[in-house]
Amino acid sequence: MISSINPSIKAFAILVPGILLSLTFDMFTPLIYLLFVLVVTFGFSDVSFKRWMKIFAPFLLVALGFAWMTMLYTSDSFSGGRVLFEIWMFEVTTGAVMVGISLALRSLCFVALSLLFVLTTDSTKFMLSLMQQCKLPPKITYGVLAGYRFLPTFQNELQILRQAHRIRGVGRERGIRDKLNQFRRYSVPLLANGIRKSERVAIAMESKGFKGDVNRTHYHKMTVRKKDWIFLSVMIGSLFLVGFLSYCLGYLNIFGKTF
Amino acid sequence: MVNQWKLKEIVLMSILGVVFAVVYLLFFFIGQGIRNFLTPFGLAPFGYEIIFGIWFIVSIIAAYIIRKPGVAFTSEVIAAAVQVLLGSPAGPALIITGIIQGAGAELVFAATKYKNYRLFTLMLAGMSAAFFSFLWHLYSSGNIALAPAIILTTFIVRLISGALLAGVLGKWISEQLAKTGVLRGYALGKELQKKREQEAA
Repeated sequence: MISSINPSIKAFAILVPGILLSLTFDMFTPLIYLLFVLVVTFGFSDVSFKRWMKIFAPFLLVALGFAWMTMLYTSDSFSGGRVLFEIWMFEVTTGAVMVGISLALRSLCFVALSLLFVLTTDSTKFMLSLMQQCKLPPKITYGVLAGYRFLPTFQNELQILRQAHRIRGVGRERGIRDKLNQFRRYSVPLLANGIRKSERVAIAMESKGFKGDVNRTHYHKMTVRKKDWIFLSVMIGSLFLVGFLSYCLGYLNIFGKTF
Repeated sequence: MVNQWKLKEIVLMSILGVVFAVVYLLFFFIGQGIRNFLTPFGLAPFGYEIIFGIWFIVSIIAAYIIRKPGVAFTSEVIAAAVQVLLGSPAGPALIITGIIQGAGAELVFAATKYKNYRLFTLMLAGMSAAFFSFLWHLYSSGNIALAPAIILTTFIVRLISGALLAGVLGKWISEQLAKTGVLRGYALGKELQKKREQEAA
């Protein structure tokens, strides 16, 4: 199961293909890798399709817009091929369409990879693993965790602010000037409260003896096992496999060069 | 570097990182909206560039408040990491974007040896972050496939956005916060306090 993979290793397993994918400008490679990520997501984790789709669906639209924009503004070195159609002052060539679709598929790959990580990873465990495996100082990891804990309270606080404004007769604003004013009225108190809380938490942590020593013991021991390495090599290896496949089929395109 | 930071400064960085991670995610959709609005005019590539400066703002705010080495860099990386935890479309690669943007801003503060925090420096930090993030996006988002004229104009727009939305707005927000008095324990609050005392004397 993906959720039991060590979070740091998982992050690397998703980061490296994400970076390497940016090299390709053909349609085939990101498409096949996207399918592979989908197979991993639904075959080896208990992510529900409904939940996954809810986050993924909006990005289909975003990717479409991205493809459209790239098609219209492709540079000459990428926009080979014959002219497919013209819109206003833009000529869209086959090369431009290919690059556009490739970039859209690539961005969908990023989203799918990111969901594979986010939906199967507990954020506390991720931080603990960053501290134990990547040797991040405890001061930072526990500091970030303390800050992260406040996230849900912001919504509650926003509601309180809104009610406080309402009870004092401050209504919703219309014009741009008033909107800016409203932005200040909400953002400054929200941030100020956050800062107050962060100071309090830091003092509480220190008063209970937290010194941020690197040589500390851990209640939750995060370990790296064989299957973590297998996952890492499968995620990266399959990208190379997909790249090799598209090379064999003559699709592979790296920075506008076909091989 | 880490030993120079007090715990409360680290938690402050992380709180700023958390807050601005949410803001960053919101601006992703605002950028999409602006882009949709600009598309009929043939200006779609500028949709995100106009507001791009907002994605560097946490570096500027944190560095301006805390004024220690590594703060601009770390706060941006924290904001990126929190965005990943919240579920960002850019995925874990966003952490790399954060590292590059943060390093861009940090570079300017390092050049002044962490002594100069005037408006000009802050704007320069925003522009430096814009510069490095632009290079990175040429690669990671495949922007290199766009026409050279578009690349150049979007670059200029991003630089300006970095100076204004990160530099100027970041300074303004920090000062508004300092006025409330919650920053009394940090460098910016102490500076304001000193100024007030001098004026009173």
